[in-house]
Amino acid sequence: MEIDRKGLLSKLEALKGTGFDYLVKITVVDYGKNMQAVYFVRDIAKNRDETLEVNLDYKDPWLPTAIDIYPAADWYERELMEMFGIEIKGRITKRLLLEKWDGIDPPFRKSFEWNKEYRTQV
Amino acid sequence: MSTRINIGPVHPSTHGVLHLAVDIEGDTIKDVEPHIGFLHRGVEKLVETRMYMQSPPYMEKLDYVAPMSYDEAYVAAVEAALGVEVKERAQYVRVIELELQRIASHLFFLGALCNDMGQMFTMFMWVFEDRDRVLDLLQEATGQRMFYVNMRLGGVTMDLPPDFTDNCIAFLDHLDKRITEYEKYLEKNPVFIERTKGVGILSAEDAKALGVTGPTLRASGVPYDVRSAKPYYVYGKLGFNAVKLEKGDNFARYRVRILEMRESSRLVREALSKIPDGDALGAPIRLIGPAAKNRVVTVSRELPRGECMMYMVSDPQRPYRLSIRSPCFINLYALPHMARGQRLADLFSIMGSLDLVMACVDR
Repeated sequence: MEIDRKGLLSKLEALKGTGFDYLVKITVVDYGKNMQAVYFVRDIAKNRDETLEVNLDYKDPWLPTAIDIYPAADWYERELMEMFGIEIKGRITKRLLLEKWDGIDPPFRKSFEWNKEYRTQV
Repeated sequence: MSTRINIGPVHPSTHGVLHLAVDIEGDTIKDVEPHIGFLHRGVEKLVETRMYMQSPPYMEKLDYVAPMSYDEAYVAAVEAALGVEVKERAQYVRVIELELQRIASHLFFLGALCNDMGQMFTMFMWVFEDRDRVLDLLQEATGQRMFYVNMRLGGVTMDLPPDFTDNCIAFLDHLDKRITEYEKYLEKNPVFIERTKGVGILSAEDAKALGVTGPTLRASGVPYDVRSAKPYYVYGKLGFNAVKLEKGDNFARYRVRILEMRESSRLVREALSKIPDGDALGAPIRLIGPAAKNRVVTVSRELPRGECMMYMVSDPQRPYRLSIRSPCFINLYALPHMARGQRLADLFSIMGSLDLVMACVDR
């Protein structure tokens, strides 16, 4: 289901209250004009899956952190910060996860140019 | 007063290139901080520039211990995006090959785990003898020993050879005997017991909260297995039951894999007895109809290391976006939680029990 990012945390909390106690994955798709974050949560006992889709503005992409509700969100959020340049509000750890990019375009966005010369920090 | 020591990135026990910054107090671990990304190749971005069926070789390199499983998960996502049905015989062939691959992977786990505990190369050589026989079978069936690339849309590249059933049953009989031998050897071994029982305990609540998956989750008392929760191919017909153990320590994680090998062996036998006649070959690589634009597909598969979810947004010729939920990535995230309060020497037995492949973590 599609929801607004301001209502995301309360929705996740409500889902966790009804048995969805397992976070499968958080991912983002860049559609060119906007981005969409997708949260997959699961109720293991009843074998139900739920997908939350959050549309993000391209100019101001931020998400609230879900780490207090689902600790598993930690590394997924760090990956999104790094690969899509999304600001995750409310996080303590902001260290990049996979690489150390030199302040360049986030590599998984569609605007990333393949042939441009990019340098990474050593 | 705690001391920080750095382990890796190049270290014989890290199963690849992984850097662990460990805070210790005396011999007790206070905290572990994994630094990953040394094998990051950006596969998810790379496949956006390739045609659909040019990508399976990249997928296989993500998990070099069980390459076919990753290949199959990706091809299944492509099939879902293109709306291709898998032929019935091909479904059986895939299940047989995937379960053989799982046996090979779990055997490798057993050898690597014992290496991590200091039982250098005895077990490793024993399991490699058996693993080699699995690879021989897969070579007969696919033509390759390591990177198979044998999945095609709707089927596989080669049907099973005529004498495959006999060879496979002979191997499975041999394997069942060997597993009993391994159990006898390991479960009465004081070193093995000491370093597995009660070490690296993960409770069911923590396992769910940290999002761990696969054998690690099932060892903690949560019987979630994609093969039984969302049966794909013919797993529903073969009567698959998820393994479950309660304790959540290293020993339970080792035990789950032993039980899964037995279950896989049973599944292969059952599939071989039920396999129908017919055609199992898939479409040639070049014959691909265009996919719908922006169709979103989610495919879950149970790999030897846990659940892999492929989230794909399709474009006519190539994936618009592929997001891989890698099982090792999230299992490694749980490592600090399990290691806190344990001895430093047990860090690698805990890591070994997670069965990590670093290429799968970094993608």
